[in-house]
Amino acid sequence: MISRRELLKDASFLLAAAGAAQPVLSWAATQYDVPTIPGKDGMILRSFRFLDVEMPMEFLNSWITPVPHFFVRNHMHEPSTVDAAEWRLSVTGEVEKPFTLSLADLGKVESHTVINTLECAGNGRAFQHPSVPGIQWQRGAVGTARFSGPRLRDLLQRAGVKTAGKHVMFRGLDEVPGKVPPFIRSIPIQKAMDTDTLVATQMNGAPLEKHHGFPARALVPGWIGAASCKWLTEIKILDKEFDGNFMKPGYRFPNQPVAPGGSVNPDDAHPVTGLNVKSVIASPADDSKAKRGVVPIRGAAWAGEADIAKVEVSTDAGATWSPARLAADHAKYAWRLWSYSWEAAKSGEYTILSRAADTQGRSQPETAAWNPSGYLYNAIDQVKIHVEA
Amino acid sequence: MSKPSALTILGLVTTCAPLFWAQSPQAPDLPPGEMQAKARTACLECHEARIILQQRLNKAAWTREVDKMIKWGALVGPKDRDPLIDYFSVNFPPEKAPEPAVRVKKKQ
Repeated sequence: MISRRELLKDASFLLAAAGAAQPVLSWAATQYDVPTIPGKDGMILRSFRFLDVEMPMEFLNSWITPVPHFFVRNHMHEPSTVDAAEWRLSVTGEVEKPFTLSLADLGKVESHTVINTLECAGNGRAFQHPSVPGIQWQRGAVGTARFSGPRLRDLLQRAGVKTAGKHVMFRGLDEVPGKVPPFIRSIPIQKAMDTDTLVATQMNGAPLEKHHGFPARALVPGWIGAASCKWLTEIKILDKEFDGNFMKPGYRFPNQPVAPGGSVNPDDAHPVTGLNVKSVIASPADDSKAKRGVVPIRGAAWAGEADIAKVEVSTDAGATWSPARLAADHAKYAWRLWSYSWEAAKSGEYTILSRAADTQGRSQPETAAWNPSGYLYNAIDQVKIHVEA
Repeated sequence: MSKPSALTILGLVTTCAPLFWAQSPQAPDLPPGEMQAKARTACLECHEARIILQQRLNKAAWTREVDKMIKWGALVGPKDRDPLIDYFSVNFPPEKAPEPAVRVKKKQ
């Protein structure tokens, strides 16, 4: 048993130790706070190391997403330093004339601009049932930006792709921990040669920020974000699809429908490429309150390589649907903003839904196709609100 | 100088543990438990705890995740594998409420 004297002696020792450690303790207390990330104020933090931040829906209020509100998805550590003067981009593999460019060289190649909605393949993963592993994105791992830079095809044509060249591999400068496979993926030569596929060096009229791939990234429009490799440093033309982890089993979608919770043989799955048709409700927020009267409902809809044909809204949990108004701004690969003015005549609890259809005849399903990694979630979106008298 | 008592040592450990276990600034920690220390050394070397805290998986899915991470270099010996899977399965099961979202703060 500890005597009172011993207790006091121990207490004084502890107090002295705590006093000596006070500066460090204060440091520890503050360091457990949510961190600041310059340029990303107010974003939802999914992970700090590696950095994964999501756009809250209240920021979805413009056709072009400002860079500070653009989501960040990193699979690895960002390169600790990128020296623009030292950076090089090589084009090798199944080509007649491999070459290497500096950033200044790349700047001399004719630039092209594509307005693209970039969405992480796992956006909406948090809504999958049963739940699946991965970053638990809700609605905001998506954004639309003006990307500018040389066409990839111009670089490939300069290198002279051999007839054996079937896939184009991208390697970035991500810093890989442990024995984690490097984040290397490839796209088919047809998509690489598309006039809208870029080696982007600019985003919204300014050089790419580091979180978004400075000094250059692939921009594969209409496809999942993972196709658009950041901190690009190597382009290699292959005679077949790259066979690393992030092509297989990673980023593959089952060829057949899978029972929720089931498993999938990677040999019976295909690479995830183009985005699904999808709409999200930006406002009102889920679980929010509104006053009786006119309640503005708005959001965005996108469909990867297809165009949005229509967006419909239901304010009675899907019993009836009304067309939303599509905003004038539009471009191939870019989302359409939409709005609907709802006259909320009575107070009470309401479930508001939105669903989009595209020019390929696809429409948002009531339930997204479940898959073990939660890719391409696109179920009809819904928010619940309380209308007050 | 007399040796510190067990209470002193316990107090010091309790008081100062966050200093030693904080695997990176601004990072939350993994929940207490027999495998907490092992999970810290095996997982938080490469990524922070937030990535684990947001998962809600059954035991089969946790088994796949742990085995994948061992293949990718997580230092987990054979005797620690099953207890680690149990630790994650108990602390982060599908029925647990989702991890609350946090926002990046504005720089003061």
